[in-house]
Amino acid sequence: MMASAQRPLELILARNLLTSLSTPAFLADEDGALVFYNEAAGALLGMSFEESGRLGPGEWSAIIGPFDSDGNQIEVEELPVTKALRDGRPCHAEYSIRSTNGDQHEIEVSALPIVAPEGRQGAIVVFWPTDGGG
Amino acid sequence: MKLKVWGARGSIPAPGPDMNRYGGNTSCVQLTLSDGTELILDAGTGIRSLGIAMASQMPRVNILLTHLHLDHIQGLMFFPPCFRSESEITIWGPASPEASLEDRIARYISAPLSPVEVRELPCEVSFLDTPASEWQLGPATIRAESVTHRGPTLGYRITEGDTSVAYIPDHEPGLGADLAGVDPEWISGHDLASKADLLIHDCQYTDDEYPEHVGWGHSRITDTLTFARRVEAERLLLFHHDPLHSDDFLDAAHGKAIECWQGLGGDPAKIEMAAERREVDVNSAGSSASRPGPAGVAVGSAGR
Repeated sequence: MMASAQRPLELILARNLLTSLSTPAFLADEDGALVFYNEAAGALLGMSFEESGRLGPGEWSAIIGPFDSDGNQIEVEELPVTKALRDGRPCHAEYSIRSTNGDQHEIEVSALPIVAPEGRQGAIVVFWPTDGGG
Repeated sequence: MKLKVWGARGSIPAPGPDMNRYGGNTSCVQLTLSDGTELILDAGTGIRSLGIAMASQMPRVNILLTHLHLDHIQGLMFFPPCFRSESEITIWGPASPEASLEDRIARYISAPLSPVEVRELPCEVSFLDTPASEWQLGPATIRAESVTHRGPTLGYRITEGDTSVAYIPDHEPGLGADLAGVDPEWISGHDLASKADLLIHDCQYTDDEYPEHVGWGHSRITDTLTFARRVEAERLLLFHHDPLHSDDFLDAAHGKAIECWQGLGGDPAKIEMAAERREVDVNSAGSSASRPGPAGVAVGSAGR
């Protein structure tokens, strides 16, 4: 029997949902890596998922920040996605991100853990632009 | 492995003169392993005829349920071995946080829907959640994984030696996904069906019918064909026919499926519509040989 390389069904269904949304949304795996983001998120970041592929926590934070109201980069450990994965509960925050063309966007972020019978499989992260971007 | 189809219909039994060749019984497939171990895939109404045919030869059986929709369990209460004290029946199915497998099945095998209760069955019956990892039944390795359908639903992969059968009768992998382009790791059921010698898969809707049924948990035929090509299945048995689809309709759908299959680079001899009483010897590397059912429908005949 081959080793399983397939994503959990809950992540597959989440990706299918995100694909259909016009709201910028991301899918993180249980390790906090971005394993998918939709076209709306790609437009906000200035880079499609097809271009970037999977991004580990250090990779995506290097691209987008995020930054607090004083312009300081927020530690990965303090981000909603990390808290959602760590604590298994939804988390919400406001911060700014940087797109690949250098533009800054003010956003609200909601991170929802995906909890399956086998445990936490990942998280859905939705960006709500508050500055008219995206 | 030897395989026999006892019910290939989906949703609800569909008896009638227009349904005789493909049959009107709901999902049930018998899989006989090399040592005689009997596995039964789903317990739709087809299992009644299977139980009659096996008579007393089958004291010990394993029934692998993909899910608990009625068309997959309706025959349980009419499976003759359930009413024989010498029978040992193990029923495997998807776990649920809501209730045990036995309690969920007992909602059907209990008043007022049934004249008997599970506890009254004279056979020795046990209900087991499918394990998260592979397990052995006789000489076969069994693997169950959740797949895209409505409610908790499993697909199965049964492997004996170097021969594998994948059984995914209720499955909508194309829901919200571009099956032709998405990476395999994002395709529901991909690992279960990967390079299977025989894939038995949902084909409930034609492409014309599908837009009215998106999200109902079943596949249009082109999605099934694309899925089969993506997983590189050696042979494909199209299964879970819509109760509205008559024999003539399914003949025509088969013809279109063959055209599409060839367009995808498939061998037309490797695709067929499941029909009741169809028997298939499944061997590795696609040397499967089918024997027609009573109606004599040829296997993989082109140009229907």
